Amino acid sequence: METLRQLLVGREISELSRVTHLLDEPEQLAAAVGSVLPSAAARVPHAQLGEALAPAVERAVQRSIQKSPRTLTDILYPVFLPAIRKSIGEKIDQTFQSLNETLRHIFTWHGLKWRLEAWRTGASFSEVVLKHSLVYRVEHVFLINRNSGLLIAHVTADNATSEDPQLISSMLSAIQDFVKDSFNEKEQSGLDTIRFGELRLWSEVGPFATLVAVIRGNPPEELHEIIRDVLLRIHDECSQALEQFDGDSSQLAGVETQLQTCVELKQEESNQGFPWLVVAAVLLVLIPAGGWFFLSWQSGQRWQAYVSRLGTQQGIIVAEQKVRDGQFYIAGLRDPLAADPQSLLAGTQVDPARVHSRWQFYQSLDPEFVLKRLTASLVPPDSVRLSIVNDRIVAEGEAPDTWIDRARAAAQQLSAGGPEFDISRVRDVSPEARAAERWQAYVSRLGSQQGIIVAEQKVRDGQFYISGLRDPLAADPQALLSGTEVDPARVHSQWQFYQSLDPEFVLKRLTASLVPPDSVRLSIVNHRIVAEGEAPDTWIDRARAAARQLSAGGPEFDISRVRDVSPEARATKHWQTYVSRLEAQPGIIVAQQTARGGYFYISGLRDPLAADPQALLSGTEVDPARVHSQWQFYQSLDPKFVLKRLMVSLVPPDSVRLSIVEDRIVAEGEAPDTWIDRARAAARQLSAGGPEFDISRVRDVSPEARAAEHWQTYVSRLEAQAGIIVAQQTARGGHFYISGLRDPQAADPQALLSGTGVDPARVHSQWQFYQSLDPKFVLKRLVASLAPPKSVRLTIIKDRIVAQGEAPAAWIDRARLAAQQLSADGLSLEISELRELTPPELTHLREAIQAVDIFFDSGKAVPGPEQLPVLDKLANQLKQLAKDARKAGVTAQFMLTGHSDETGRETAKLSISAARAETVRALLKKRGVDPELLLVRGAGTFEPAEIENSRTGNSANRRVSVTVNFH
Amino acid sequence: MQKKICMLGGFAVGKTSLVRRFVQSIFSETYLTTVGVKIDKKSVAFPDKTVDLILWDLAGEDDIGSFRVSYVRGASGLVLVVDGTRAATLAVALTLRERAEAEFGAMPFVLLFNKSDLADRWAISDSEINELRQRGWQIYLTSALSGEHVDDAFRQLASMVSK
Repeated sequence: METLRQLLVGREISELSRVTHLLDEPEQLAAAVGSVLPSAAARVPHAQLGEALAPAVERAVQRSIQKSPRTLTDILYPVFLPAIRKSIGEKIDQTFQSLNETLRHIFTWHGLKWRLEAWRTGASFSEVVLKHSLVYRVEHVFLINRNSGLLIAHVTADNATSEDPQLISSMLSAIQDFVKDSFNEKEQSGLDTIRFGELRLWSEVGPFATLVAVIRGNPPEELHEIIRDVLLRIHDECSQALEQFDGDSSQLAGVETQLQTCVELKQEESNQGFPWLVVAAVLLVLIPAGGWFFLSWQSGQRWQAYVSRLGTQQGIIVAEQKVRDGQFYIAGLRDPLAADPQSLLAGTQVDPARVHSRWQFYQSLDPEFVLKRLTASLVPPDSVRLSIVNDRIVAEGEAPDTWIDRARAAAQQLSAGGPEFDISRVRDVSPEARAAERWQAYVSRLGSQQGIIVAEQKVRDGQFYISGLRDPLAADPQALLSGTEVDPARVHSQWQFYQSLDPEFVLKRLTASLVPPDSVRLSIVNHRIVAEGEAPDTWIDRARAAARQLSAGGPEFDISRVRDVSPEARATKHWQTYVSRLEAQPGIIVAQQTARGGYFYISGLRDPLAADPQALLSGTEVDPARVHSQWQFYQSLDPKFVLKRLMVSLVPPDSVRLSIVEDRIVAEGEAPDTWIDRARAAARQLSAGGPEFDISRVRDVSPEARAAEHWQTYVSRLEAQAGIIVAQQTARGGHFYISGLRDPQAADPQALLSGTGVDPARVHSQWQFYQSLDPKFVLKRLVASLAPPKSVRLTIIKDRIVAQGEAPAAWIDRARLAAQQLSADGLSLEISELRELTPPELTHLREAIQAVDIFFDSGKAVPGPEQLPVLDKLANQLKQLAKDARKAGVTAQFMLTGHSDETGRETAKLSISAARAETVRALLKKRGVDPELLLVRGAGTFEPAEIENSRTGNSANRRVSVTVNFH
Repeated sequence: MQKKICMLGGFAVGKTSLVRRFVQSIFSETYLTTVGVKIDKKSVAFPDKTVDLILWDLAGEDDIGSFRVSYVRGASGLVLVVDGTRAATLAVALTLRERAEAEFGAMPFVLLFNKSDLADRWAISDSEINELRQRGWQIYLTSALSGEHVDDAFRQLASMVSK
C-alpha cells in the first residue's frame, strides 16, 4: 500500500511537501512571492489593485510621516516646490494689483463712491476698488491635449470671433514647446501668460490637458484660481478620456459645459447713472434755509463783538444794549476825546442803519483823557514830552519860562480831584531861546545879502550851524556877525563859493578876469554892464567871449563902445618882442631903441659870434624895412662866446672836452703836450678881464700815446706782410708783446722795426716758423730749393706758379718732381711752358732747319720737282741734328706743320695742310730720317707766313714748316 | 477627428510649397523662421468621417542636430519630403524619421519625392524607389507646381492614421 502509494502519488507527495515547506518557511515564501509579485501586480485590473493597496499605502505614508517627516518631504520636494512657488507668485501679483488699483482710485470721485460702497457692504476698500476697476471678459476657452497639441474643446463667448481654433490650439502648444526649448526651461507648468495689448492668454496646465483662456481686459488674479478649478474638475470627471485622447473629441462632449462656466466670467462697468435730479432738488431746499440761519446767527455774533469792543474802550461807558427784531439798541456815556462809537462800527460788518445809539458826553478823569486835554490846551513845544507814570501825568524836557508858567497854572487846576501833573522835570531853556532868536536875526541878515545864499541852518545844543553858497566877492558872513550878539565861537559855518550873477558881482569879476586896459571903463547902466574906451582886438576878443558866456543867464555885457586900436598896438608889440629877444641874446647889448612914426630905431653892441640881429627879425612879424639899426662889434667876454672862440682857435682833439662850469671854462681829458702848451697860452691871454680857462684837468698823454701809436703802426705793418701772421699783441707798462707765425721766407719782423720809432728794447716777440702756402712763399721756396737757371722765369699767374723759359732736361726733371710734390699740397707748378735748353752746338743747326719751308702748288699735296733738292738738304740736316743731339744727351724731335692758302673750303684747307705734312714726312723717311722723330700736324690757314688780302691764294702760304724740339 | 501630422524633410525640399495650395492656414510662413514651426490644416473627407490633419510644418534643416524633436510629440503620422533632384535629401528625411520614431515610437508615414516636374534633373533611380516600395512604404512622386499626387498622399496618410 505504502509502496503503491509511493508508486502512485510518491512524486506528488514530495512535491506537496516541498510546497508545504515553502509555505511554512516565511523566507522561502517571501522569495517565491517576490519573484512573481511584479507580474502579478501588473495583471491585476487597475482599479482593484488601487483600492486594495490604498489603505495600506495611506497607512504606510502616515507612519512614514510620523516617524520622519523629512523622508517624504525630500521625496515630494521636487513636486511641491514649483507649485508653492507659483502659488506665492500669484498671491504677490494679486497683492500688487490690489495695491495699484487702490492707489489709483483713492482720491477720485469713483474712489469716494466705492468707499461708500465698502462701508455699506462691509467689504474692504481695496476689494471694492478691484471689483470696479478690473473690467474683463473671457472670450475663448481652449482645452488642448497636452501631448499632441490637438484641440479637445473650444468655447467662445457671444460676439467673440477667432480663427480656426484647431490651428490656434496647435500653434499655442507649439509656442509653448518653442519657449521651453529655446530657453531650456525645465518647468512642467508651461507658458503662464501671453499678453498682447488688451488681450491676455492665460493657460493652466493639467496632467493631460491645458486650459487656455483668452481674456480681453484687466482680469483679477483670482481668475487663475477659477480657471484652475475648472481644469481640475475636467480632469476629475474625464481623466481617462483625456489620457486616451487620440483626436476624437466625441468622448469628451461634456467638457464644453465646464468650459462654458469660464467663458461666462466677466466684470463689466456699471452704467447706472448717478441720481443727479434728486440731489439737485434736495440741495435747492437746503441751501436757502441753511443760508438764512447762518446769516442771522452771524449778525448776532458781530453785534456782540461790537458791544464788547465798546466796553473795552476808555472814555466810553455802555449803560444798556439790546437786540430786537434785528435792530440793535445801545446807550451810555462818552468822553469827547474817546473814540467815536460810530466810527468803531466800521469794520465790524454790523449794518450801521440797524444800530440805534444814545450817548451822553462827560469828562473822564482818566489820566489818559486828562493828558489829551492838557496836550490840547497847553500846546507843549516839541522839546517837552508828556506821559503817564503811575496815574500821574509827567512833563519832561525843555521849555521856555512862559510855557512853564502856563503849565504850572494847569497843574494847580488839576490838583482838585484830577490826576497829579508833575512839571518838575521841565528845564527852563529861555537863555538858549533868546540866543536862538538872535541867531535867526543874523540868518535873515545873511539872507538879504547879495551874493550869499543860505542853504541850511540849525541850532543844536546851543551851537549854530549854517551852510550855503557865497560869492567870493560878497560880504564876509563872519564879518557880518559883529554886532549881532551871536557868539562867533558857537557858529559853525560851511560856505561854498559860487558865482553870483548880480550885475555888480559880474562887473567885479569881469574887471578881475579881463583886466581892462586903462583906456577902457566898465560901468553898470540899467543892470547892463557897459564897456567904453579903446582896446586892442585881443582884449576885445576876450571881452566878446566873456559877453557870450554871460549871455546864458547873466547880465548883458555891452562892448560895442570899445574902439579897436590893434594895428599900431600890434606892430609896437611885435617890436617890443623883437627887442626883448635881442636883449636876451648873449653877445648883443641893446643901447637904445625907439618907435617913432611907424619906424623903429635901435642901436647897440654885438659880438661877431653872437646871433645876427637881422636874422632874428624873421618870425617876429616886424617889417624889416621899417627897422633902422646901428650895431658896433665888440668881443663879448661872456663865457659862452669865449668858449666858442677857444674852440675855433685851439681845435681841441676828440679826447678833450671843453665846458662852462660856473662861468669858468674848463678843459678835461687827455691831450698831447703840444696842444696843452697852446691851451696854456690862450689861458694866459684870457686872464686879463675874461673868464678863467682852467686846463689843469687835461692830462699830458704825449710819450705813451706816441709810443703806442708807433707800436700800432709797426703791428699793422707786420700784418700787411705776407708770410707773417700776428696772433696776439699787447702793450703793457710801456712794453710791447707780440706773438705769431712767420714763414722763414717772410720779412724779418725785427728788421721791420727800424724806422718805426718803436724802441726795440721794449719789444718782446715770439715767432714760430711755418710754411706759408701763399704762392709768393711757395715761389720763394721753389727758387731756394730748385735754384733755377737764369733762363727760367718763375711767375705767379692766378695763384698758379708758372715756369717759363729754357732749362737743361735734368733741371726740368727736378722741377717736374717738385710740381708733383706741390700738387699734393693743392698747389700747382706749371712746367709745360719750359723749353729744354738746347745745347749751344745744336742751336745753329736747329735754326737752319727751322728756316726751311717746303712749298706746294695750289691744290697740290705733293711738292713740285723743284722742291726735291730742298728736301734732300733738309733730310741731311735732320739726320745730322738727331745724331748731334744724341751726342749731347738729348733727343731731337721734328714737328712738320702743313699750311694752306685761303682758297678752297675750310675743311679742305685743313685736310690739305695735314696731307702736305704727311707727304713731307713720307719723303723725309724715304731719305733716311728716323720716322720716330717726325711728328705731323695740319695748321690750315691759321699760321700763315704772310697775311692774305685776296682770295686768289698766296704761294708763300702753301708750305710745310719744321720746328725742332729737344727732350 | 483630428490628427497631428509632422512634415519632415531637409532644407528647401519644398515642404511648405507642397502644402501651400492644399491646406487651410492662418499663419504666415514667417512662423517657420521665428518659431520654427508652422501649423496648417488639411481636411480629408471619407464617406463615414472627416479627418482633420493638423500639419506641423517643421523648419527644414540640413543640420539634423538642430531638429526640434519635441515638436513631434503627440504626432499620429509623418509626411517625409524628399527633393527628387537632390539624392542626399532622402537620407536626411529617413534620418529625421528615425529620430522621431526613436523618441516617440513607430508611426505611419508617407514618403514624398517632390519636384517630380524637374525630370531632367531627377536624381533618384526608379530601382531605388521600387526597393523602398517593397518595404511596404507608401511613396508618392509629387510636384508642388502641378499638385500631382499631393492630395493622394494626404488622403492615404489620413486613412492610415484614422484606422
